[in-house]
This record gives sequence, C-alpha cells and structure tokens, in this order.
Amino acid sequence: MSDIHIDRKVLSDLQEVMEDGYLYLLETFLDDSEKRLSQLHEAKNADELAHAAHSFKGSSSNMGALALAELCRQLEDRVNNGPLQGIEDLINQIDREYSAVRQLYREERRRVSIG
Amino acid sequence: MNQVCADVEALSVLIAEDGAADRLLLATIVRKQGHQVLTAENGEQAVALFAERRPHVVLLDAMMPVMDGFEAARQIKALAGEALVPIIFLTSLSEEQALVRCLEAGGDDFLAKPYSPVILAAKIKAMDRLRRLQATVLEQRDQIARHHNHLLNEQRVAKAVFDQVAHAGCLSAPNIRYLQSPYALFNGDLLLAAYTPAGDMHVLLGDFTGHGLPAAVGAMPLAEVFYGMTAKGYGLAETLREMNAKLKRILPVDMFCCALLLNLSFQRRVVEVWNGGMPDGYLLPASGGEPQPLVSRHLPLGILAPEQFDDTTEVLPLALGERLFLLSDGVVDTSDENDQLFGVERLRRVLAANRQPALLFEEVLQALDGFRGRSRDDVSLLDIEVVEPQLSSPLPVIYSDSGQSSPLDWSLQFEFRAETLKRFNPLPYLQQLLQEIHGLRAQGGALHSVLTELYSNALEHGVLGLDSALKRDARSFASYYQMRNERLQALSAGFIRVHLRVEPLGQGGRLIIEVEDSGKGFNVSKVLARPVSEQGLCGRGLNLVRRLSRRAEWADEGRRACVEFAWEAQA
Amino acid sequence: MAVESVVSQDGKKLTIKVKGRFDFGKHQEFRNAYEHKPARPDSVVVDLKEATYLDSSALGMLLLLRDHAGGDESDVRVVNASSDVRKILAISNFDKLFDIS
Repeated sequence: MSDIHIDRKVLSDLQEVMEDGYLYLLETFLDDSEKRLSQLHEAKNADELAHAAHSFKGSSSNMGALALAELCRQLEDRVNNGPLQGIEDLINQIDREYSAVRQLYREERRRVSIG
Repeated sequence: MNQVCADVEALSVLIAEDGAADRLLLATIVRKQGHQVLTAENGEQAVALFAERRPHVVLLDAMMPVMDGFEAARQIKALAGEALVPIIFLTSLSEEQALVRCLEAGGDDFLAKPYSPVILAAKIKAMDRLRRLQATVLEQRDQIARHHNHLLNEQRVAKAVFDQVAHAGCLSAPNIRYLQSPYALFNGDLLLAAYTPAGDMHVLLGDFTGHGLPAAVGAMPLAEVFYGMTAKGYGLAETLREMNAKLKRILPVDMFCCALLLNLSFQRRVVEVWNGGMPDGYLLPASGGEPQPLVSRHLPLGILAPEQFDDTTEVLPLALGERLFLLSDGVVDTSDENDQLFGVERLRRVLAANRQPALLFEEVLQALDGFRGRSRDDVSLLDIEVVEPQLSSPLPVIYSDSGQSSPLDWSLQFEFRAETLKRFNPLPYLQQLLQEIHGLRAQGGALHSVLTELYSNALEHGVLGLDSALKRDARSFASYYQMRNERLQALSAGFIRVHLRVEPLGQGGRLIIEVEDSGKGFNVSKVLARPVSEQGLCGRGLNLVRRLSRRAEWADEGRRACVEFAWEAQA
Repeated sequence: MAVESVVSQDGKKLTIKVKGRFDFGKHQEFRNAYEHKPARPDSVVVDLKEATYLDSSALGMLLLLRDHAGGDESDVRVVNASSDVRKILAISNFDKLFDIS
C-alpha cells in the first residue's frame, strides 16, 4: 500500500496550497531528493552526512514522505550520537525507501498533469 | 484554502532555505497570506538581500551551505540596529542544542517541519505585532528625545534672556561664594545680588512654587524690580513691597515666591533681614560657635494684597569675618529612601563641624549625598563674608546721558512730615536728583552713604528720639530696631527738612546738603570727641559723614547737619 | 481615593482629607474636592492626618482653596498635620492665612 510510504492527506493539502504550482513542487522535490541522495553517498565526513540527512528529513516530511523522513531522522541521530555500525545499512534502506517514494510521486505527477 | 486576508498588512518576508522544494513551498504559503516574498538559498545571499531590501520578517533555515543560519541571523540583527527584525528559525524542535544556538544568534521564534500554514500565519502575525511595538517604542523615544532637546534649547534661550535682565549683579564680588545649578531658573530658584548706590549690598535668594516654565516666568519681573530699585537706592522695605505687589498682580493664586532678602552694610556693619518662607539662613560667627538663624517670619511674596503685606525687617550687627549662609529648600527637604528628611539638625551639625569656610559647600553636598545615597544638583547655596567696606566696591554706575545738560545753580527744600516718614523713603528721589549733577558722579557712593546716614540719624535719633547708646552692644541692638519700628508706626508729629544747594565754584561747583529734624538734638562736641574705638556700633555714622564729605558741621544743638561736596572742572 | 471630601449634614462644612504625599500629583483631585459643589460651605476643614509630606505646590493648592472659599473672608482650617508637615507650614508662615491646629 502506498500509504505506508506517503501520507495522502499531506499531498492533498499541498495541492490545495500550491494550486497550479503543485506539479512544479513535485518535480522540484524529486530533483532535490536526487541531490540529497548523492550527498548521502558522497559525504566525506560525519558533518556532511548529518547535514544531508537533516535536510532530506526536512523536505521529505514537508512532502508527506513519512517513512523516508523517519529513516533520515534515524540516520542523523546515529551520525550525531552513535553507534556508527549499521550506518551503511540505514543508507541502503533510505535508497530503497526513496525508490518506492519516487515511484509514487511520479504517479502523482502523471495523475495531476493529466488531471 | 485562499488565505489572503484583507486585515493582514502586507509585509516583506525574506525566506532563506537551502532545499528548493521547501523554499518553494514556504514561499507559496507566505505569498498566499498576502505578503511579499524574497528568497535566498544560503546565509550569504540572505544577508545581502536583507541589506538591500530591508524585509520586515526573516525566515531562516539553520543548516545552510556557504553561511549557516546562525551567522546570518547575527549579521542581520547587526544590520537591523535598533529596529526589531523578527527572525523565525526553520528547524525541527527536537534538538535542544540547536534551539539554544538559534536563540543565542538572535532568533525570535521557531517553525518546525512539516510546515503548517496556519501556525506560520499566526507566527508571522505575532512577530509583526512585536515589530510594530518596538517601532512605536523607538519612535516615541526619539520623539521624547526631540522634545527634550527642544526644551533644553528653549531653556538655554530663556536663561540667556534672563541673564541679560539679571546680569549676575555683584555675585562675582570677592567676598561672595555661591553654588547654583545652571537650571536653577527652571527649578524656580533665584539668586540676585547688587550694590546700592551707597555701597550696601542687597541680596535675594528666592524660590518660586513649582518647576519648569511657570516657575521661571515670575523670575524676570522680580529680578527687574530688585535690580531697578536697588540701583536707585531704595531700601529693602520699599523693594519688598514693590516685588510683592508685582507678583501678586501677575501670578496666579497658587503661585508665589519664597524669598530671603538681605541688605548688608559693610560700612555700618549691620545686616537687615527679611525672610518669607525660605528655610532659615544663618549668621555664622567668625570663630566657630552657635550659628544665628535668620528665621522666616513672613508669608512668601505674591500672596498678600499690598495693604496687608508686612515689610518689617530684622537688623543684626555684623563683625568682620562673620558670614551669612543662605540655602534653598532642596537642602533640608532632601529625603532618603525611607522618606526621612535631611532636616535642620543635620544641617546645623555640618555647619558646626565646618573648619574651613571654603569647604563648606562641599561638606554640605557631601552630607546630602551620603544621606540620600545619590547626589542632587538642584540646591542653591550662598555664603557672604563680612569684610572691610573697601574690599566690596560697588560697580561704577553707567549713565546714559552725557552730562552736558547738568543744572548748576539752584536750591530746593523738602519737608517730610510724620505720615510721610512712616511709609515713604525719600532718599532714592533725592539721589536721582543729585545724579543729574555730572561733577558729583565720581563721588556718587560717598554722597549716597552720607545722605543715608544723615537721613537715618535725623529720623531715628531726631524725630523718633532713639538713644544711639542702645546700639552699643549686640544684645540691645535688636530691641533698638524693634523700638524704632514701634515708634515709627505710632508717629503723629515731627519733620525732617532737607535743603539742597548747588552752586558754581571756580571751574567746578559744590553741593551743600542740610538735614534738619524736629528732635531734641544732641551734644555734638561730646559725641565727636569720643575716640573711635569707644564709639562702637553707635557713633560710626558721624565719623563716616566727616570722612566722606569735604566739610561736615552740626548746628542748632545737633538738630541741623550741614555737609559739603565739591568738584573740579570737568574734563 | 487619596483625596476624600465630605459635606456635613447641614451642608455648612466641607471636610477634605488628603492621604499620602500632598504634592502636585494631587492637584486635580484636590480641586475636584471643593469645586462644582452645589453650595459654597461656610467653612472648610483640610484634614492632613494621613498626609505624609507636603510640598510648595500643595501650599499653592491651599491658596487656591482659600481663594475659592472667599479669600480673606474664608474660614479654612488645616487640622491634624504631622510635625513634619507643620514645620513646612510654619516656614511659610501659612498660619497667618489659615487656622492650623
């Protein structure tokens, strides 16, 4: 079910707020998220990793991607407070969650553009 | 969900947010709430945009590349200066450390993700209220500062005008020390001093009811009367009556002027005192000892109708080195934090402890500071030392005419009878008349002193029949003047005749003054034969007359004095 | 109220009580206490029992009251003044204008 990944209520509120800009918001979020993901993978130190996780957490929570936001929160917390083992695993989970979410946002985009 | 509300005034809102989607979302929400939006992707852009566009409210993401939100907040607050530019940090409320850093950097509020349009609108509104409040406070503060400067300037101008009227009199005489705040005029305090034509010194320390302009308004007419009448040779009583009548006429019912007036004669070593409503002044003995209070015995000036006014003065003998110390009510009325007054006793202890006269003011002020816990600069203090007459020389009178039209050959005679003698002092009129004689102007002081002496001798020892021996010691001195007042009030017969004759003499001329009274006369040769040291307080008059005039004789068993002044050709 | 005024039953006597500091801050209240009364009372009593302090503007207010009550014809009494307040009244010689007890 898509509702494990995305809060549909958030999406309908966003559409109401953004009106014609909703489509553009979805695209912007998807672009933005690609950037955040590569930051996660290319982070050279803990600070960069925490920063990327923090920003990704914020934007995904705004977009109603609750599971993704929660995974980012866990990653940020682990980077800041440890333990560090299993971080790779967490990043992989984020990758997988994002793939699922991306699919759902693309469907949403299609739905709206046909609208 | 159209949130554009007519009642929200459009603000300019700067949004600095690193994530493009969040920035877009936030900008859309804020714009829909009716505000103008500026966006920045990092702290540096945010600071630059702020400097350029001066938005009303700033929304700042804490974590941003290039320059983070904390540094941006600090720079924006610094740029904003005194104006309140509310900064709302965009951060989740979970990290305590981050929240503390936001506040320390100058953050005013927080907004957590995910953004809620309702909460954001409420926060912007609340911040706008704060911003307006601060702006109002600043505006009012600036307005107060402008008014204050305006007021200070007005006071400066008023003071300058007043100084022209009051021209500082003879406060700069070497035997006078005084302390007065530059704003004394606006505290209602007034300090005036001037020499009479005879070389006596008139002093007034006054205190108008209230503060500010109302208190200052009465000062000008009062100073004018004081200086005008003193310069013309009027005594304290006439000057007081005129000042009271003038103030009564011009001041509203609830305004009046407490005043202490002195007429110091260094020649005759006496001081005449009138105190209406001022704290006790003091006559300080030369060698320590108990100060003698100059007590308030009258209502202040400007309260009583002219016919009810009491111009009775007290006369005290003076000795060299004695000092008169006057003060404004700020001294005894100083209160500590428990509303306890400094009071007269504490002041008297300070006076008693004083060893060096030059330090007295300092000691009084220190005692006040110590009592109150902080200093005050609104008290007036005055200290006059009794010195040899020549040390306190009158300022030369400035005449406005050239003297070319001086009358030079005439005589006239006045006869002043009982009813006139009671209330009227003819000396100023005689003196003004004699000032017309150009050749006599250089001797003006001596002439006035002699006239004053002759007239008061004729009145007191002649018409009133007072025994000059009564003035021999300080104790009977007071009763002498009391008797003088009583007899003057009861006077029903008697006269003083003044005969003036002016005639040319060689290239110059001479003035002959004859003063005749209806009294019993006195043994001239006996009085004049007394050595000066024995004459004490009583015989000084005759010697003074002889010393100051060219020729002085007494005829008709002392009932008629004849004195001559002469002058050389005018340059 | 820091200034209270009471008119006697027969309407002939007005009593004004001043509490706390009697200074310019009481100006309006003090005036209200005697102005706009239906009839002018024969006598006025100013009760200073609870007055802690009195400054020169209070003296001015007393003069206004006296003027309002008929000037030299007025009957204004000042009662229950503390020793500090009496000293201030004494320095100004207000006992020459008011019956002070």
